[in-house]
Amino acid sequence: MKILHLYHDVMNLYGEYGNMVLLTQVLNTCGIETELILQPLTQRPDFSEVDFIYMGAGTEENQKVVLSALSEAKEELKDYIFKGGYGLWTGNSFEILGKLLVDCEGKEWKGLEVFSYTVRQQKKSRLTGDAILTSEGLKEPAVGFINKCSYIEGVSQPCFRVLMGMGNEKEGKTEGIRYENFTGTHLTGPMLVKNPYFLLKLVSDLVKKERNEELSQEERQALLTGVLAKETAAYEVTLRELRKRMEK
Amino acid sequence: MKKFITIIVCKILRWIGKILGKGSSLPGKIALKICPDILERVTLPPYIIAVTGSNGKTSTVEMIAHILTENGKKVAWNKEGSNQIEGVTTLVLNSATLGGKVKADILLIESDERFARYTFRYIKPTHYVITNLYRDQLTRNGHPNWVYEALKDSIYPGVQLILNADDPLVSCFAEENQKVIWFGAERLEQDTEEFCGIYHDGKYCPHCKSLMEYRCFHYDHIGHYSCTGCDFKRQEAEYKITKADLREGVITVNSEHEIHLQLKSLYNIYNILAAFTVASLVGIKEEKIAKSINGFVAKNGRVVTFTLGNRKGTLLTSKHENSISYNQSIRIAAACEEGCEVLIIVDAVSRKYFTSDVSWLWDIYFEGLNRENIKSVLLAGTYCNDLAVRFSFTGIPEEKLQVLETVEQAVEVLNNDKKEEIYVITCFSDKDKFLQRVVR
Repeated sequence: MKILHLYHDVMNLYGEYGNMVLLTQVLNTCGIETELILQPLTQRPDFSEVDFIYMGAGTEENQKVVLSALSEAKEELKDYIFKGGYGLWTGNSFEILGKLLVDCEGKEWKGLEVFSYTVRQQKKSRLTGDAILTSEGLKEPAVGFINKCSYIEGVSQPCFRVLMGMGNEKEGKTEGIRYENFTGTHLTGPMLVKNPYFLLKLVSDLVKKERNEELSQEERQALLTGVLAKETAAYEVTLRELRKRMEK
Repeated sequence: MKKFITIIVCKILRWIGKILGKGSSLPGKIALKICPDILERVTLPPYIIAVTGSNGKTSTVEMIAHILTENGKKVAWNKEGSNQIEGVTTLVLNSATLGGKVKADILLIESDERFARYTFRYIKPTHYVITNLYRDQLTRNGHPNWVYEALKDSIYPGVQLILNADDPLVSCFAEENQKVIWFGAERLEQDTEEFCGIYHDGKYCPHCKSLMEYRCFHYDHIGHYSCTGCDFKRQEAEYKITKADLREGVITVNSEHEIHLQLKSLYNIYNILAAFTVASLVGIKEEKIAKSINGFVAKNGRVVTFTLGNRKGTLLTSKHENSISYNQSIRIAAACEEGCEVLIIVDAVSRKYFTSDVSWLWDIYFEGLNRENIKSVLLAGTYCNDLAVRFSFTGIPEEKLQVLETVEQAVEVLNNDKKEEIYVITCFSDKDKFLQRVVR
């Protein structure tokens, strides 16, 4: 299984590489061989024969550099996502997939037009905060941290409902985007590491892609108590601390 | 009259506050309410020195104050370290006569990176030191470039900038400003030719995004860089560390002045050099500066030695959410040739605000502890499981790791007859939870 980590050397603000380190480890545990392709800024990406695409958060400046770099491969990327390609873009990386991006100085940037939303960035204050997010396909909520400077208008298929924290829009109650097998979320950093249940769903999907059947209940349980035992313990503590905070 | 009343009120409030053991920001806050333009109405001294940056502000300011005071200058400075506009207002008014004249030769301000632009609107520094811009408290600060943008707005025309030449992002402040004095370290014995760390924030040019080349790295992305695509490069420093002998704990400034380090590490060298530079620019002779620094004992308690039963230990205060600070502490423990045990505590991420974000653990080069001489690593506190996850990817053998939910448990485990020294790496928010259980 080929896993592409796009622009790992600039879209790396909050320790995002941890996501790929863990994902490949868990896939390997499930008996799936993986090849992790670390794609630097200096190389043109190649989406053919790729099974999964990941990208993390970067500075607003690097986000625009990446947007320009990907503009050349725009059609291929659109094709990949529309044909049901698997992917996870976290932090501000998925912002560039919209129609329009207005930066902190008011300058307009044409997005990659995979989706039809508009992103507006501002420099008055940094928008940061812990988050608890729920999703229909997920029994346990996702936890994490959002660190951005933008709001997004016009997301037709959000990924999460906001239990605690910020949504796509100001005062919004939905977060991220979801299209077939592609997810975008403003959760930053090693969000797969922090969310073993979310990770398990992703792994299960990728296992299905590879061998046509999902992980069994026993296999899931074995992963949670085995290779993901520490992650699960850490997740419980974070969820507990965030719930305590919410009640205050 | 309004000025007079405001100053009186501020002085009285500060006096009462001191008796009650309160911080120094409230009097300034009230003074600014009574008279919003009070800072424009006072007469400031000829030298206004400001210090900002991610790491080492307080240490640098303390050292500058020490050197200048010892050499006969009258310095007004914020000893309490309250570094936003309210604290600075308290400092200024408290140091002023009732007529509004600050009774000092030099006003020395430590300034928070994010609030400098507000403070300096009224108090324009004559000398402005920027020590570094690292990934620091990103849950509030966003990222270093975000802080850079905020700091840029605090630089007013005519100011004498004093910049760290070895930090590529800091050196960008020089762009439109002609008055820059650079400080930096020459190639040092312990430098590396390859980048060593988790993330390389100097990999690409901040201007043209071409690859940068490094002739040497002092640590992390701090070193001698030049862009392969444009003319951006490290500037030649006027004030420089020409040698660092960490075995002896001595650095040499400008090829002739030896300065003894309290801790045999690179940890403090830029703070020392920045203080040296400022003092020299104010007119103190270099020999005298070196003498003052050598006699200076930092009071901020960053490094604390202790005993636990028969065992000796050192607590290295590091900043949570600041990987470079952690990396420095890790280097110190790793350099302990006799062998040591390391305890890392993450119990509360911050003492000032709430977050449960531990992404920053992934930016720290914990791999540096994967060495023969590190006998074991204890991971403790509320976020011990997150530490355990991170450490499971460091290559450190599992049998060397121990995960403990509380600091108390960690102390119990360490309280034995082993000979190895103990190194504790943790933050201001958590260090007292350990120190109250040992003998200092």
